[in-house]
Amino acid sequence: MMNRHVFRTGWKKGAMLALTLTFGMAVAGCGAATPSKDGAQATGTAGQAGAASSDQKLVVYSAGPDGLAKKLVAGYEAKSGVKVELFQGTTGKILARMEAEKTNPVADVVVLASLPSVQGLKKDGLTLPYPEAQNADKLNPDWSDKEGNYFSTSASALGIAYNTNLVKTPPTSWADLAKPEYKDQVNIPDPSLSGSALDFMTGYLSAKGDGGWTLFEQYKTNGVAMAGANQEALDPVITGAKSMVAAAVDYMTYKAKAKGEPIDIVYPKEGTVISPRPAAILKSTQHEQNAKAFIDYLLSDEAQKLVADASLLPGRTDVKADKRANLDEIPLLDTNWEWMGDNGADVTEKFTQIFK
Amino acid sequence: MGVLSVKQIRAWCLTLALIVLALLIVMPLLQIFIQSVYVDGTFQWMAPFRTLAESRFASVLFSSIWLGICVIAGTTVLALPLAWVMSNTRLARWRWLDVVLLIPFMTPPYIGSMGWILFMQKNGYLVQLLPELHVFMSSFFSFGGMVMIMSLHLFPFLYLLLRGALVRIGGSLEEAGAVMGGSFGYRFRRIILPLLLSSYGMGALLIFVKTIAEFGTPATFGRRIGYEVMTSEIHKYISSWPIDFGKATSLASVLLTACLLVWYMQSVINRKYTYRLVGGKGSRPSRLRVSSLATGLSIAFILLLLVASIGIPYFSIIAASTMKLRGIGLAWGNFTLDYYRELLSWGSESMEALLNSVFLSLGASTIAVLLGTWFALVVGQSRTVLQRTVDAFSLLPNTVPGIVMVVGLILWWNSPWMPIPLYNTYGMVILTYVILFVPYTVQYVKSAFTQVDTALFQAGQVFGGRPFYVFRRIVLPLILPGMLAGWMMTFTIASRELVGSLLILPPSVQTSATYIFAQFEQGQVSLGMAMAVISVGLTTLLLMVMEILNSQRKWK
Repeated sequence: MMNRHVFRTGWKKGAMLALTLTFGMAVAGCGAATPSKDGAQATGTAGQAGAASSDQKLVVYSAGPDGLAKKLVAGYEAKSGVKVELFQGTTGKILARMEAEKTNPVADVVVLASLPSVQGLKKDGLTLPYPEAQNADKLNPDWSDKEGNYFSTSASALGIAYNTNLVKTPPTSWADLAKPEYKDQVNIPDPSLSGSALDFMTGYLSAKGDGGWTLFEQYKTNGVAMAGANQEALDPVITGAKSMVAAAVDYMTYKAKAKGEPIDIVYPKEGTVISPRPAAILKSTQHEQNAKAFIDYLLSDEAQKLVADASLLPGRTDVKADKRANLDEIPLLDTNWEWMGDNGADVTEKFTQIFK
Repeated sequence: MGVLSVKQIRAWCLTLALIVLALLIVMPLLQIFIQSVYVDGTFQWMAPFRTLAESRFASVLFSSIWLGICVIAGTTVLALPLAWVMSNTRLARWRWLDVVLLIPFMTPPYIGSMGWILFMQKNGYLVQLLPELHVFMSSFFSFGGMVMIMSLHLFPFLYLLLRGALVRIGGSLEEAGAVMGGSFGYRFRRIILPLLLSSYGMGALLIFVKTIAEFGTPATFGRRIGYEVMTSEIHKYISSWPIDFGKATSLASVLLTACLLVWYMQSVINRKYTYRLVGGKGSRPSRLRVSSLATGLSIAFILLLLVASIGIPYFSIIAASTMKLRGIGLAWGNFTLDYYRELLSWGSESMEALLNSVFLSLGASTIAVLLGTWFALVVGQSRTVLQRTVDAFSLLPNTVPGIVMVVGLILWWNSPWMPIPLYNTYGMVILTYVILFVPYTVQYVKSAFTQVDTALFQAGQVFGGRPFYVFRRIVLPLILPGMLAGWMMTFTIASRELVGSLLILPPSVQTSATYIFAQFEQGQVSLGMAMAVISVGLTTLLLMVMEILNSQRKWK
C-alpha cells in the first residue's frame, strides 16, 4: 500500500542515501515487505534506478471532461502498453497540485482547459518543447505554440446557453442580455474559477478595447449574477431558476441537450471566443518517450475522433465534428491571445470587483 | 517512588507528544510560512504584511468573523434546548436520535447547501409543491439564510458536547437547587450554566473556527448572495492561475491568528470555570418531573429541527438523485432509479470510490482516536506551558483552513529530501485525515477528562494500583465515551472529506466525495446526489450498528 510512490532523482545523490535507505526502510517497513512494480524494486537498486521499469508508466494530469480523458488514456494504454496514472481535476486544482509538487514534480503531461495558464508554464520554463510531434502541422496554428511547447488538441466555444422552456426567441447578440426583459435572469461564470469564462472576457476586451467594459457594467446593472464555475452557472438554467448563461461552455450545453434537458446554445452574431484546451509535456518528466508518444496519440485520427464525439471542437483543422457546430459555423471575435495571457489577472480582479 | 515514576512517564510522554506534533503538524505549517516569505526565490519578510495591507482584506476578515459569531448564536439556539431535552426529559430514552442527529453533520456542507438552494430557488421544489409559498424565496437568499444553513449543519457537534456535559452534571445538583426552592430559571442560571460553561466554551470555539474555515457553504450559497469570506479568498489564490501560495498563506496566517486569539480566550474561561464533577459518588439523571406540556413542546421542537436539518435538504437531494430530467422537475414519470443502479454496479468506478472512502476513513479514525486520546491525556488539566503547547499544537489543524493544512502537508511530504515515501500513497491520505481530524478526539476526551476529579486517581494509588492499572480501570472507562464520540466524528467527517482529498489523492484514485464533486463538475448532478445519499446512508447505518452494539454491552 505504501509503496506506490514514484522514485525520485533527488534521493540518488550524495551521502543522504545510506541514511535515507535505513530510515526509509525502518519507517516504511511494510513497503519493503510487499514487492511492487516500481516502489520497492527501485529502493533495492537505488543507484541505477531502472530506466526499464520506469518507462512502463506515465503520469497525466488532465482537466475534464471526465469521460473523454479516460477514453483517451485507455486508447493510449491499449496502443503503447504503458500504464497511465491519471489525475483529474479542474485547471486550478491541477495547477495548485503542480505548484505544491514544484520541488519534486510528479506529472509528465498536463492537459489544461485554459491557454493563458499553459502560456504561463511556458514562460516559467516548465514545458518541454516537442516540435516534431506527429500531425502538429495540422493543428489550428492560433491555439498552439510554434516551438512545440504546447498543443491544443481540443477546444470549446463560448455562447449563450438558454432554457428553451423560458426563452422562446433566443438573443442574437451579447448586448441583448442587458435588455430589461432579461433582468435578473442571466448567470455568468466566475472568471476566477472558470478559465473559459476568463478567456471570453479577455478575448472580448482584446477585440473591443477598454470600451468592452461597458458591456459588463450593463450586465451588472441588469442583475446578471456571477455564479461559480461553468457547470454551477449552467445548472440553475437547466432547472429553470435562471433563463440564460452568458459565456457558457458549449460542449456542456450540447451534452445536457443530448440528454433531453430543455436547453440550447447560440453564438452571438458579433462573434465569440474559442477556448483551446492545451496539452504540454513538463520539462521535469521522467518518462520523456512515453510523454511524447502520448502527445502523438492526442494528435492522431483516433484521438481526434474521440474529441469530436465528446462534442468538443477537434484541435486539428482537418477533423470535423458531426454532433456540434464546427469552427467555420461559429462567428469569431478578433482576439489577441498574447494580450489575453498578459492581462488575465487584472481582468479577473476588475471583473470580480464590478460583480461583487 | 510510585509517584515519581508517574511523573517521569508524564514527562517522557509530553516530550514525545511534542515531537510527534512537531513532525506531523507544525513542520508542514512552517513550510507554508516559509513559502509566504520567499517571493521568486528571494527572502522578503515583509511580503505577507504587504499582502494584508494590499486591499479589502480587512472587510473580508470581518465578514468571516461576523459569520462565525452568528453561527455560534445559531447553533446555540438549536443545540442547547436539545441537549437539555435529551438529558432531562423522558425523551432521553430516544438514543437513536443521537445517530439521526449526526446526519446533518455527515452531509457534506456544499451538498446540504445545494439541497436548500434547489428547494428554495425560483422554480425550486418548494414552489413546485406549494406555489403560494414563493414569498419565502427572496428572504431566504440572504445572510440570515447562510447562517441558518451553517447552523443546521454544525449544531449536532455542539449538541453532543453539551449533552455529555449535562449528563455528567447529573440530577443531584439541580435537585438540591429545587429543594432549596430555586425556580427553573434560577436553577438554570446559577447551577447548570456555570457548570456547562467550559464545555460550551470549547464547543463554541470549535463552531467558530469550523465556520470561518468552512469552504463548502460559502462556495455554493455565499457566492450566490455575494458574501465573501476568507476561505473563498484563499481558495482563489490557491486554485486559479496564477497560483499564489504566498498570498494564500498570508491570508491563512491572519485567519490562524484570529483563531488562536479565540482559543486563548476560551482557555482562560476554561481554567476559570472548570469544576470536578465526576467524583466517584456516582451520578444519576434528574428525577425532576417535566410537565406534559413541556414534553409536548420538546417533541415539537425536535420534530421541527429534524424537518429543517434533515427533511428539507434530503428531500431535495433524493428528489434530484431520482430525476430523469432536471429540466422537468417534480413530476410522476420523471422518476428513475437508474443512477443508483449505475452507482452500485459491482466493480464500477463509483463502487471503488465508495470502498476507498470507507476503508480510508476507518483507518484514519482509528489512528486519530488513539493519537488524540494520547494528546488529550498528556495535556491533562493544561497546567504547564509545555502542556498548553501540546494542546495548542494538537488543535492547530482545526484552526487552519483545511486547504492550507493540506498544501503544507504536500510541501512537507513531497520535499526532495523527505526520506519517507508517503506522498502519492493511500498512507498519505490516511495521514492527512488523521491530522485534519485529530482535534475532535482531543476535544472530546479532554472534555471528559478535565471533569474527572483527581481524587479518583489518588484513591486508585492509595489502594496500590500501579499507573497502568489506574489508567485501565479508572481513567479508561471514564474517557471511553469521549473516545467513542471522537471516533464517530472522525469517521463521519473523514468519509466525506473533500478539500484535502481533491489535492492529495494519488492519481487514478477517487473517494466518494471527490466522485460527487467530479459529477457536479461534469454536469451529472443526479449521479452526484445519488452518491451523496448512498455514502451518508452507509455511514448512518454503520453508526447505528455501533450504537446498538454499544447499548447491548451496557446491559450486560
